Amino acid sequence: MSNIDLLGRRKFIAGLGAAAGAAMVSPAMAVSEKADGVKWDKELEVVIIGSGFAGLAASIEAIKLGAKDVHIFEKMAYFGGNSAINGGLFAVPGSPKQAEKGIKDSVERMVADQLASGRGIADEGLLRHVASHANEALQMTLEAGAEFHPYLQQLGGHSVARTYQTTVSCGAGITQPLLKMSRKMGVHTHNRSKFEGFLIGKNNEVVGVKMRENYHFGENQPGKVLNIRAKRGVIVATGGFAQNINLRMAQDPTLTAEVGCTNAPGATGEGMFEMFRLGAVPVHLAHIQSGPWASPDEGGFGYVSNYSIFNFPHSIAINRLTGKRFMNEIADRKTRADAELSCRDEKGNALPPILITSFKDSKKHPNTAKVIKYNVGWKFDSVEELASHFKVPLKELKAQIKEYNEYVKTGKDTQFGKNMTKAKDKYIQAPFTVVRLWPKVHYCQGGVQVTKKAEVKDSFTGKPIQGLYAAGEVCGGIHGVSRLGSCSIPECMVMGMTAVRSMMKA
Amino acid sequence: MKTLKMMLALGLLSLSITSAQAVQIRDFHKDVIGRDCKACHDHGIKQFPSDEACLKCHNIDDLVKASKRPEEDKWQNPHNNLHYGKDLPCQECHAEHKTKKPLCSNCHTFKFDKHID
Repeated sequence: MSNIDLLGRRKFIAGLGAAAGAAMVSPAMAVSEKADGVKWDKELEVVIIGSGFAGLAASIEAIKLGAKDVHIFEKMAYFGGNSAINGGLFAVPGSPKQAEKGIKDSVERMVADQLASGRGIADEGLLRHVASHANEALQMTLEAGAEFHPYLQQLGGHSVARTYQTTVSCGAGITQPLLKMSRKMGVHTHNRSKFEGFLIGKNNEVVGVKMRENYHFGENQPGKVLNIRAKRGVIVATGGFAQNINLRMAQDPTLTAEVGCTNAPGATGEGMFEMFRLGAVPVHLAHIQSGPWASPDEGGFGYVSNYSIFNFPHSIAINRLTGKRFMNEIADRKTRADAELSCRDEKGNALPPILITSFKDSKKHPNTAKVIKYNVGWKFDSVEELASHFKVPLKELKAQIKEYNEYVKTGKDTQFGKNMTKAKDKYIQAPFTVVRLWPKVHYCQGGVQVTKKAEVKDSFTGKPIQGLYAAGEVCGGIHGVSRLGSCSIPECMVMGMTAVRSMMKA
Repeated sequence: MKTLKMMLALGLLSLSITSAQAVQIRDFHKDVIGRDCKACHDHGIKQFPSDEACLKCHNIDDLVKASKRPEEDKWQNPHNNLHYGKDLPCQECHAEHKTKKPLCSNCHTFKFDKHID
């Protein structure tokens, strides 16, 4: 047990960039306190902060393992966080659908893909833990009634098709069933409940939380603050900080307010800050990922993101200045985002590249009709029409399409080394569908350091802070420099389940 | 004493008139509720109303029917939407004393012709 006064290290924490950024977040900063003499307003068995994949999976697992009094607290008015608006893409190695399709995969292969993307600093132990339990998480979603497309997708950086996607192409296809199942099982869900800090026991363990009632995000709040005792422990599942402009700029000054963001507005990082105050170890905060599939023509994640993710394997991304490809369209996210950002006009101004797909291939995904309907995607009957619309040099574009179709035929991309397995027989030919691409801030690889038991490590002792667990995007270090697409859902759900298993010593 | 009571009454009346005039109120609520602040403010005047306040008069299932979309766009129904079902509190898109845009417009370009900003 730690003998160090956790709260006395506030000055130490304040010296770190993260805390300095935190100081500017909001005028009413949360503050953790000693629980001595506290009058408890409520005494609950399991306290979960955050209602995304991690929190929901944790709540269901808690009831399954015998907890009787499980509560989810959500600061926003609505449940689901970023999980409810993401692409609903779920990577599972050795899944039932892979077996059905005759696709060979393994935990080792998935972890190898993730380590490559993590560029040497991902946490192999945590990645293996998540991949090993991904099927259990998938099973939970199916049990809750989630429905998936009949095909698997191969996302950027993955060496094989292993990604399920909900039939509504959205994480809500999972959060809504999980939320309904959670409530049916007896979990109490509380919206507009703002976590205001931890309550710390005699041995520096977490014994409870302060929670403000009737919270309205972004408004001044006189709601009452309750002292809630957590008899078994607290699970922090509060997501990332992509919407915290000050903190992301502290890590990367180019991520100004002008840079688009796919996240829900509540992804501001307070849960993470509060754990830092307790002594949690900050890991990889500077590795902030942008989504290379995003569109400058709509807000947030929109419709283009899922359209692009589905179509990248059998499409070409074209620099509009040169009429040429400039990247492997299924490389990992950082590689592609950096390549897209380098697409500039003669004066060096941003020139969003275009993604060209044959309509016969793109029409298989439901978002194709949507991107065209809402004018964030276009359909063309000829390459001349396409080139004219986007002011792309026609001769060079025609030559590029012809060259790429040779790669489709031979199965080998000698230009950028793209894995052509998924592009087999999918030639780029009219009619075309096209979207513009421009990266948006999407995922924070950084957060608090956790063990394979979802325990939060104390920076001074290296041991877990008792009574405190964390799961999902609020944790750092797992993915290293760049997370692979569709690897967040398994991580969130598996670590949410793991946090409960640790808490209940299952 | 009578004079004092009369003065207090006039003062209170002035105060309430001033308060009501200082706060913008939707025409449709003005017609139905008038100046009865408590009709919505179930947490007192200094806080936002609870999410249940609107539902005392407005039925969510009736609203779902009223804002129904064609089959291919059925989940764009603001009152029964893809991300949050029927759970999205009214105050996230509707405000009484200021303008507010639909939450959907953060990410989508849907048209909600009946929405009053």
